[in-house]
Amino acid sequence: MAAPIPMSGPPGKAGGRPAAGWLPFLQAMLGISLFFLSWFLLVDVFAIWRFAQLPRLSVSLREMFSPNPTFGVSVFTQEYYDHLKASAGRVIFAFVLSVSAGVVIGILSGWNRWFRAVCQPLLELARPIPVLAWIPLVILVMPSRESSVIALTFLAAFFITVLNTMLGVRSIDEVYFRAAQSLGFSRWAVLRHVVIPGALPFIFVGLQIAMAACWFSLVASEIVSGTAGLGYKVWEAYYYVQFETMVIMILTLGVCGYISSAIIRRLGAYLMRWRGKTLGSVA
Amino acid sequence: MKSLASTAAAPPANAVERGTPLASGIKTHLNRHFDLVVGAITLIAFFLAWQFARPLGIPGLSAVEPPTRVVAASWDLLSSATFWTACYKSALRILAGFALAQIIGVPIGLMMATNRMAFHTLFPITEILRPIPPVAWIPVAIIFWPTREMSTVFIVFLGAFWIVLLNTIGGASTIEESYKRAALSLGSSRWHLFRYIVLPATMPSIVTGMVVGMGISWEMVVAAEMIASDTGLGYLLWQSFEINAGAQVIVCMLAIGIAGFVSSALISRVGRLLTPWQGRR
Amino acid sequence: MSRGALSFRAVRKVYDPERKAVLALDGIDLDIAPGEFCAIVGPSGCGKTTLLNAVAGFETVTAGTIQLDGRTLATPGESAAPGEDRIVVFQHGALFPWRSVMWNITCGPVMQGRMSAREANEHGMRLLARVGLKGCEDKYPNDLSGGQKRRVEIVRALVNDPSVLLLDEPFRALDALTKSVMQEYLLELLVQFPKTVFFITHDLEEAIFLGDKVVVFTSRPGRIKEVVTVDIPKPRSHEVLTSARFLELKAALSQVVHTEARRAFEAGEKEMAR
Repeated sequence: MAAPIPMSGPPGKAGGRPAAGWLPFLQAMLGISLFFLSWFLLVDVFAIWRFAQLPRLSVSLREMFSPNPTFGVSVFTQEYYDHLKASAGRVIFAFVLSVSAGVVIGILSGWNRWFRAVCQPLLELARPIPVLAWIPLVILVMPSRESSVIALTFLAAFFITVLNTMLGVRSIDEVYFRAAQSLGFSRWAVLRHVVIPGALPFIFVGLQIAMAACWFSLVASEIVSGTAGLGYKVWEAYYYVQFETMVIMILTLGVCGYISSAIIRRLGAYLMRWRGKTLGSVA
Repeated sequence: MKSLASTAAAPPANAVERGTPLASGIKTHLNRHFDLVVGAITLIAFFLAWQFARPLGIPGLSAVEPPTRVVAASWDLLSSATFWTACYKSALRILAGFALAQIIGVPIGLMMATNRMAFHTLFPITEILRPIPPVAWIPVAIIFWPTREMSTVFIVFLGAFWIVLLNTIGGASTIEESYKRAALSLGSSRWHLFRYIVLPATMPSIVTGMVVGMGISWEMVVAAEMIASDTGLGYLLWQSFEINAGAQVIVCMLAIGIAGFVSSALISRVGRLLTPWQGRR
Repeated sequence: MSRGALSFRAVRKVYDPERKAVLALDGIDLDIAPGEFCAIVGPSGCGKTTLLNAVAGFETVTAGTIQLDGRTLATPGESAAPGEDRIVVFQHGALFPWRSVMWNITCGPVMQGRMSAREANEHGMRLLARVGLKGCEDKYPNDLSGGQKRRVEIVRALVNDPSVLLLDEPFRALDALTKSVMQEYLLELLVQFPKTVFFITHDLEEAIFLGDKVVVFTSRPGRIKEVVTVDIPKPRSHEVLTSARFLELKAALSQVVHTEARRAFEAGEKEMAR
């Protein structure tokens, strides 16, 4: 889980210059239109095989932007924003909580031998269990449905953040600690000026993965125990055969996921300006 | 790597020849097994707290069946055919979905990394589809695929697919240019270039993708079985919860954890076989 | 110049990984006078860096004593914590890449409370200008070239006004031309800020060019094979490299160094074959 995802950029060819100009943009448009065109042709026009079962592109789009949608949810209805707000609120809350807890615990265990010796076995015990397998137990332990959804979203990001932070601290070259000692840094200064900035690259790789994990854990737990939210609505729409609403919700989830990881990427690039041009920017 | 330990709490790593031989012997022994000793104490304390959570009134933990019950329940479950059938079903689904992700993801990734046209056409649409949590595809999969079995495998496939694709692209597009030039100057054909340079140079990232993908596969199989299936470990877990068998819930969790752990270990093993030139990590 | 007398008495170091005692250093007796530039030459793995680390406070010694101006730095069971009186310039560099050049230079004196941020800044600016790095103060280390980084690092060391400067092959990663320029920069700086220097290198020519004294180490276990005083007057410029005296010293030492390198190499091959 903790392996860094490679930064995705255009593939390098003979020196790795990115292709400039309009061509890549046109190709991107081509790729995206190909996807929607095949959706349209397979489902709307020819309706072959099982594609006939799927929601149609034209109908879904009409539903999505209709002021009074057939199934009651479009981007112009209050209900849409209620679900969006419920999910986004949970993710933000759980993510902030787990990142603060995870980074603190990760740094302390990279920094202090005692802390590590105590935390590591507990983490190792819990880590191999997939987050989604925690769902029933968390529902049992937590007092309300809302709190269990948040707890599950929290757990998803927590382990990833702790592990990547620990890896980050351990990845810092010994030489920086030695230099800091020679220069007379206090323990606190070492933490602030060596440990935290040095672990940042790994922490941010972890945050990217953690954010994605937050969203899928949120959707799963909303499906099984939610009362509102995008995941909940996806399932409800499926249940009541309102497939177009389901499409709207799935697309919204994609957009949310994209925006949230873009924010983390930007923040990471800003905080790690020091990595310099030679090492390739994070974005 | 070396940790901060040498600057912080730990004594210098080479605190060997000082003091009396016996005292120093005990000291180094303790130092060497420090993590083990403290770790063991922590785990014992944790299990004791869990066992006596109810009489002690520890919030949260007291809602969980104590370890002794869990052990008893695991005995019952492990001797039932239901459990082993569930394991078998889940394992098959993982195997199918994971293998499909490799078979489809690796070639597409290699093609996207080596062909500019393919990259610029396909990458943006994957960027749009990838952020959609695979769990959200579950209903779509149920609608589309004729059987529940197929939709479960599809969800497992989808979970692993993105990570496999991304890792393959990442690995294949950062190959040292000099390797390719060396091969070309030795007279490689295009096929040789692919077979002896591109593929092995990408292999470490493909292996990383496999390891991470395996973890996600287990997440997905649990979700899909819990939500949309009536067999498998995920289903058994959910069913135990619904019939209020708290101890069995934990047994199922642990079983899934162990299964996930074993399959990750297997994949790492396979990964090492695929990349024998990489140093042991 | 009253500070910076470094003395080694019968220093010995045994590593003990998995109970296999490896003798790294044996019977090191050496005196470095205040302000003296002592260059240590020897094959890889001869314990040069171990000795430097023991002075710096990163390693202990198994036997013997290391003293700086009469104060014991290392003796069995005791070692002084690393500090700003013995600044190390590391082989691969240790500028904090996440902080600006100026922060790197001023952090030492500011954190030790010896200078205000303002004073340190002014001092840093002056030194940067002197090594030709005016205008680089707000850059990050990764935006500098290898030679520029090395200069910044030496400036960082000097700002702390150490009693002894410990340089662990600081120019190793540089190309030959940059290296020769850096050597001149170092000598010029030392004229302005005289320091005792403990300098490790693989490169005999570099050792003779920079050093007042060249110490040749044997291959493992590291013992002192030869100590030669370089009687070429300072300040030296690159013309020295072709002078008769330089070539004479080089000829005398290169045979010794080569023999040790060859021994180390063969021992390494034997180890590999095992």
